[in-house]
Amino acid sequence: MKKDEATALDTKSTAPAEVSRRDLVTKFGVIGATALAATLAGVSLSACASASGATSSSSILKRRYGMVIDVRKCIGCRGCVLACKVENKTPPGVNYNVVLEQAFTVRPNDKPVFQTRPCFHCEKPSCVDVCPASATFKRESDGIVAIDYDRCIGCRYCLTACPYGARTFDFGENYPHTSEGSPFAAVPSPEYGQYRERSAHKSPIGNARKCTFCEHLQDDNGAYDKKAGRWPACARTCPGHAIVFGDLNDPESYPSRLLNERQAIRLKDDMGTEPNVYYLI
Amino acid sequence: MYVYDEKIGRRKFLKVSAGAAALVGATNLTGCGSANASESQIAANAEGEKKWGREAGKWIPSCCNMCGGQSGILCHVVDGVVTGIEPNSWNPNNYSNISSDFFNGYTEEYGTKDCGALCARGNAGIAQLYDPDRVKKPLKRSNPDKSPGADPKWVEISIEQAVDEIASKMKTLRDKDEAHKLLWISEDHSFTHIQGDFLKLYGSPNYGMHSNLCDVSRKASFKCVMGHDRPLADFKHAKYILLFGWNPLSSIKWVYLPRIVTEGMANGAKLTVVDPYMSHTAAKATEWVSIRPGTDGALALALANVIIREELYDKEFVSKWSVGFEEYAEYVKTKTPEWAEEITSISARTIERIAKELATSGPAIIDTWSGPGQHSNAVQGGRAIACLAALVNGFDRPGTMIVPNKGGNSHQHVYPDEKADAMLKNPRFDELDKFPLGHGSGVYTRYFENILKGDHPYEAKMMMCVFQNPVMSVPASDLVQKAIAKLETFVVVDTMMSETALLADYVIPGTTYFERYDFNTHWVTWPVLGLRQPVVDPLFGQPTEYEFVTMLGRKLGLKEASGNDFFNVGPLSGQRIESLKEWYEDYLSKEIKNGKPGITLAELKELPGAVWVDKKGTEYEKYMKTVADSAIANAWFDGDPAADGTNVYDKPKAEGGKLIGVVVDGKPRVGFGTKSKKVEFVSSWLADKVDANGNRIDSLPVYSPREWQPTEEYPLYFINWKESSHTHSRTQNNALLLEIKPDNPLILHPETAAKYGVKEGSLVEVESKYGKFRQKVSLSKRMHREVIGLQHGFGHIAFGKTAKGRGASDSVLRPLKSDPLSGMALHKEACVKIRRV
Repeated sequence: MKKDEATALDTKSTAPAEVSRRDLVTKFGVIGATALAATLAGVSLSACASASGATSSSSILKRRYGMVIDVRKCIGCRGCVLACKVENKTPPGVNYNVVLEQAFTVRPNDKPVFQTRPCFHCEKPSCVDVCPASATFKRESDGIVAIDYDRCIGCRYCLTACPYGARTFDFGENYPHTSEGSPFAAVPSPEYGQYRERSAHKSPIGNARKCTFCEHLQDDNGAYDKKAGRWPACARTCPGHAIVFGDLNDPESYPSRLLNERQAIRLKDDMGTEPNVYYLI
Repeated sequence: MYVYDEKIGRRKFLKVSAGAAALVGATNLTGCGSANASESQIAANAEGEKKWGREAGKWIPSCCNMCGGQSGILCHVVDGVVTGIEPNSWNPNNYSNISSDFFNGYTEEYGTKDCGALCARGNAGIAQLYDPDRVKKPLKRSNPDKSPGADPKWVEISIEQAVDEIASKMKTLRDKDEAHKLLWISEDHSFTHIQGDFLKLYGSPNYGMHSNLCDVSRKASFKCVMGHDRPLADFKHAKYILLFGWNPLSSIKWVYLPRIVTEGMANGAKLTVVDPYMSHTAAKATEWVSIRPGTDGALALALANVIIREELYDKEFVSKWSVGFEEYAEYVKTKTPEWAEEITSISARTIERIAKELATSGPAIIDTWSGPGQHSNAVQGGRAIACLAALVNGFDRPGTMIVPNKGGNSHQHVYPDEKADAMLKNPRFDELDKFPLGHGSGVYTRYFENILKGDHPYEAKMMMCVFQNPVMSVPASDLVQKAIAKLETFVVVDTMMSETALLADYVIPGTTYFERYDFNTHWVTWPVLGLRQPVVDPLFGQPTEYEFVTMLGRKLGLKEASGNDFFNVGPLSGQRIESLKEWYEDYLSKEIKNGKPGITLAELKELPGAVWVDKKGTEYEKYMKTVADSAIANAWFDGDPAADGTNVYDKPKAEGGKLIGVVVDGKPRVGFGTKSKKVEFVSSWLADKVDANGNRIDSLPVYSPREWQPTEEYPLYFINWKESSHTHSRTQNNALLLEIKPDNPLILHPETAAKYGVKEGSLVEVESKYGKFRQKVSLSKRMHREVIGLQHGFGHIAFGKTAKGRGASDSVLRPLKSDPLSGMALHKEACVKIRRV
């Protein structure tokens, strides 16, 4: 593949806004290709199926959203952190992604490595298993790990169960510009398409919260559209274009191609969580 | 006509037609959430979606102004509230500074191929707009005491009263033929033209802008060597990038920088960053070269020494397109790597290697910014750096430093009346003419220095300060405060109650970039003009900055020489326009109608992303262009018209002819923008001038040590820098940005810390011979062992509840001083001692 093509963002395959469900069957119906891509990505197809529970004839349609993060292009600016906060209207202390900045002793002069870290939407999410209220679950259709705030009892088991620290707790704080009296205070979070008004003692205050891959930006068919701005906010804003988002089940998606062409790792892979977020090295 | 598609929240431009409408109807994009309702336990809220979703309200394209980078943004506005900001993919500022890169895959419907980007600050704009600590009403001081810490005892007044009283003070000055005693300083990316017009019609030559706190020394250096004051680096196509004290990946001057730098590196470019501190840019670089502050010029000369010694320079370019090479080569002969090692602390072996890598792996970018640029030896050092670029043919070719075409809006002339004209002839208060390489933005330090002097060059009476916080941003806070307190009248226009505003007699509430118009140009290599437009009305009913100026102009009845009632008559329409907003729209319309775009404001608004982009794009090697035939017809040659080296004048030299070209490869070519039309290793014209201190100027890019050197008592170098988490000293009350950068700890190398018994988290006092502050320590080997420093901008004593008392300000450490060639404020030059407290 030519270099130019590798950097091109193929939104079409992950963004079939004008594509009917039937077209999708035709497009992704070649199981062999899908399996090949999945193998190359280091994840077997059977693992996907078992992790997501029930299977049906429509399972070949399933998407598996994920990210491939090019560490070389992450400059540690934290644009992603703030784009997420503004998109999801998260309060102080609730951060769906952070930028890890690590200096390794083996690197000279404390030279840091920057890694943006969203929720990894693991194939085998340890946060899901521990939830006593079945409030958090992995969606069959696209692999997104979601939280039903109405069921969440705020016990925070999931916060400790996540090996990546991807979940935070909403203690009910507000920023000065989101506090009462500010015109902006009335603007609700679009999370899960719920547009909940933020008020004391009401969810998601008192709930665990986490990255949703901005699933509220999907269309009725569960598709995103980068060019229309309906794309996870962190990936949409990234100045280094380091965050590559898409359907890892689609062998032609940009992240799948990157996983094929480049070397990638997952964090704490030995935990058996099978993250859907990869880091290029 | 293009419309912005508001119906479906798709940020796509559709040509309005029945077909397009049908398409919108057929594509159901209303839903949120999962494709399969049965598996999801989360019910969406259709009503909330209808009220607040992407289909609700409006998407308005505009430009950011969190910093000077002016990225394109799309603002989602619902019910008069800005609910979201996203990158504008039609604006080159969000993508690339080179047109071939920008247009590759560009469509009118969606913009650039990989979409635009926005940095952390751009995303945090909402917290700036809705900051509850904003100044909301015009305020008048009732306590004449302006000593530090004095309560101004503000009284709220109406804007009419404020305009009446301020205009009346201005009128008094003007009536006494003392209009020049009004000084005016302003931020330099917004509403500057109208302020300049006002001052011209009023009669004061004293208009200063922010640039002299930023990069005027860089401007001077490049102007001398290659004839343009703002070359832009084509990072994407370079193979070797050598940066002296500039930080495109962290300070993110333009949001396209991270993309083009990292792509350039992915394409194989080597990035070497010279900086006493391993900035984020240096952290991403192939190589970080730790240097003693202010010695970059010495390094540049030593690199040149090796390149010339090894004959690795581009001989063809140097022989055809430069002047002074022999003299320069002779000068750098003694500037060996060993010589530079002593000065810079960089090993001679490293210098030798970098020189060879640089000269053998072009195209190469060699660039510099405020690191070396805010030192007393900045201009000559910058010239040495630019000369290095000349050696490797590093100008105006792909992958090098490009001369941008600045075509955009055109500032229309105003013609002052006789009275104003007479007062405009007064010398500038900042004595800009004494700085031989000074910049139109003036010399802020001289303003305050001369106010303190009292009567030199005359007594200043009044100052307008628009969106500037000199108490925090000009070296020597204490002196700046004293100077301001001496003025009879001091007016501040700002969104925040800054440290400077606390000294004002009047504070006028300013607007954020969501509330006003501006044009944005000049940040890519070809003509582009982005529109900033009001996406909401000013929150407190306050006038915008340009409306405030217009109100003053009307109140004073300022007219042009022709009698034209300037501030009442639309500059384009020629009709009387009462509405302040409409008058300014007409003003802007004239600037683009008569400028490069040739369209009206209304037409600009309808362009995709509200940005006009010249389709012709980036041009390279413009110096090779031949002089126009029409000019050649009357031209005078000082030698054989076909012989290389002959100069071309518009008329005989003896009759005062102006150099318009130079013969190269047998043809008269327009050449570079320098005095000689060639790249200048030696600028002989400088030898006739003296600097602001009265010293002669070397025509070679000589290295001389910066003035302020460490001593036994003050043994450490002190530096500061910018990061993209904040802009200067104006975002530290932004709660969102404080999430990612809440403080600016003092960075020390662990070995340095050990010497002073300082540990991680220790509180220390940093003291120079001018002032001191306290701050907590953070240890990092990313800092040069002889240097300590911090991110600039924190340490507010006012500005808002969140900013106040957070972090430390280093402005107290330095004297009120600029470099004597360009007038650049010396923000980086200080020596200190530290003590654990």
